[in-house]
Amino acid sequence: MTTSSVRQTMALAKRSTLELFRQPAVVVPSMIFPLFFAFLGNSSFGKTTSLPGFPKVSSYLQFQLAGTITQGVLFGSVTGAAALATDIESGFFDRLLAAPTSRTGIVFGRLAGSVLFGAFSTAVFIFALLPFGADVAAGIRGIIAMIVSGALISLAVGALMSSIALKTGSSEAVQGTFPLLFILLFFSSAFFPRETMSGIYKTIAGINPISHLVEGLRALSLDGFTASALARAILVPLAIAIVALVIANSQLRKRLRSN
Amino acid sequence: MTNSPIIAEDLVRHFGDVQAVKGINLEVKAGEIFGFLGPNGAGKSTVVRMLTTLLRPTSGTAHVAGYDVVKEADKVRRSIGVALQDAAIDPLMTGAELLALQAVLYGIPSAMMKKRSDELLERVGLTAAASRRVSTYSGGMRRRLDLALSLIHQPTVLFLDEPTTGLDPMSRLTLWEEVRRLNKEGTTVMLTTQYLEEADQLADRIAIIDHGRIVREGKPVDLKASVGAPTLIIKTQTDQEERAKTVLVAFGDLRPGAQGELGVGLRGGATQVTDVIRKLDEAGVHVQHLEINEPSLDDVFAEATGYRLEGSDNAPSAGDNGVDEPQTKKKSRRGRK
Repeated sequence: MTTSSVRQTMALAKRSTLELFRQPAVVVPSMIFPLFFAFLGNSSFGKTTSLPGFPKVSSYLQFQLAGTITQGVLFGSVTGAAALATDIESGFFDRLLAAPTSRTGIVFGRLAGSVLFGAFSTAVFIFALLPFGADVAAGIRGIIAMIVSGALISLAVGALMSSIALKTGSSEAVQGTFPLLFILLFFSSAFFPRETMSGIYKTIAGINPISHLVEGLRALSLDGFTASALARAILVPLAIAIVALVIANSQLRKRLRSN
Repeated sequence: MTNSPIIAEDLVRHFGDVQAVKGINLEVKAGEIFGFLGPNGAGKSTVVRMLTTLLRPTSGTAHVAGYDVVKEADKVRRSIGVALQDAAIDPLMTGAELLALQAVLYGIPSAMMKKRSDELLERVGLTAAASRRVSTYSGGMRRRLDLALSLIHQPTVLFLDEPTTGLDPMSRLTLWEEVRRLNKEGTTVMLTTQYLEEADQLADRIAIIDHGRIVREGKPVDLKASVGAPTLIIKTQTDQEERAKTVLVAFGDLRPGAQGELGVGLRGGATQVTDVIRKLDEAGVHVQHLEINEPSLDDVFAEATGYRLEGSDNAPSAGDNGVDEPQTKKKSRRGRK
């Protein structure tokens, strides 16, 4: 990337971040609902922590923190990608294309906004749940690593959702993935450890990438700041993000070629 | 090759089976305001989108500001200003923020950004509204901001795609004044419009496009002169139209009228009007409305296409020509008025 491309990407990232925070009606639910589910889960499933196979935790919230972060980041990423689709629908994308804008900068700028939001919402979830028992065994360093992990999850999911936005140019199509994400979330280890599952549910949770994203974060909150926990929290979302970025870039090229 | 800032040769664009632009040749000279006139769906926007690098031509070539629109697209983009139809402006941002973003996109150094933005905001009368979100702007304010955005890098060639569509008369006049001012300062302007008056008032030369082809091109005054005779327009009862036509045809060539109206180019000039009325009366045709018009661009358009641009339901609706292009649907955004 040239200096000019970096400057353009940063300016576009600033725009997408400002936009996101200027739409409280869009942003607030993606913060409120995961917290609501966390507290609901804590009161409903609090006693499940004593089940065989359940990891040793100080409270269900300590276990649930990773699921809550992932849930919030997933929903926030959908919002960011939907905004990219809206840019295509409204013609703002054309405005950017008519200028000597770095083509990848257009998508990276959007994703940078999502990444910042992912980091921000991860911090909010951690600090909102800490007083209620959501301890992070890895301490301050772990919290920082979780924020980085949240940002990377945001990048990975945001890039995948952006691929859909670039492919369809439809914000409805992007938002249409929301129920699918919700189902994937419930068929993952976001709310219960895989060790307590059985049958097809356990199999699906095992191959569900969301389980692996959640478990990376969870390793930091439960196991402490270990090399293994850090690797799982950072490398898994990073690997998914790299694949997702390649797909998003390919969809961008296809859209540009189709003009 | 000439030094003209816009040259298109045999420009063709297909969308699937639909041929939206069918071989356009045009040359816009430096310092001109060039009007591209036609109804919705005629192909105006498709041509502009090809000239501004947003669409690749299916065949043919085009050079803008001396650069090939396909092979040197980035150089074209750096040289031109573009204000697209539907002024897609982010409603969640302020005018000043959008100008700052646009300045970065065009590589304007940070030290110059504020000065340039302030100048442009003042120029388009938006200084007081600069820190307000675009969602609070009126349609006219948005178009003025759009114009300011397109001028951030001081382009020598400016494309305005239907800049006044949907604006009230006052906002339209304000924008016209600004376009004239820019042109006086040396900017070459290519303007698409479906408004005859706009083309007549602003353009040094116009091209009329219909069904993807240029059907007339020249200075408005010359085009109007080419039509020659004034047009007599009459309105009568539907069941008397055929009788009226047999009378009118004796005085000149029949010309398309707006819906429910008949037109005739009076060979003998306006003095024949009384004769026409007498003959119509003798034929039992009851004339409900009558007017005589000096040749207008609408007459030029009617002569070239067989229908009138204004007040006619004969014009191709969007879609007859495959629409300007299969655009992604334009939607309002959250917060957009």
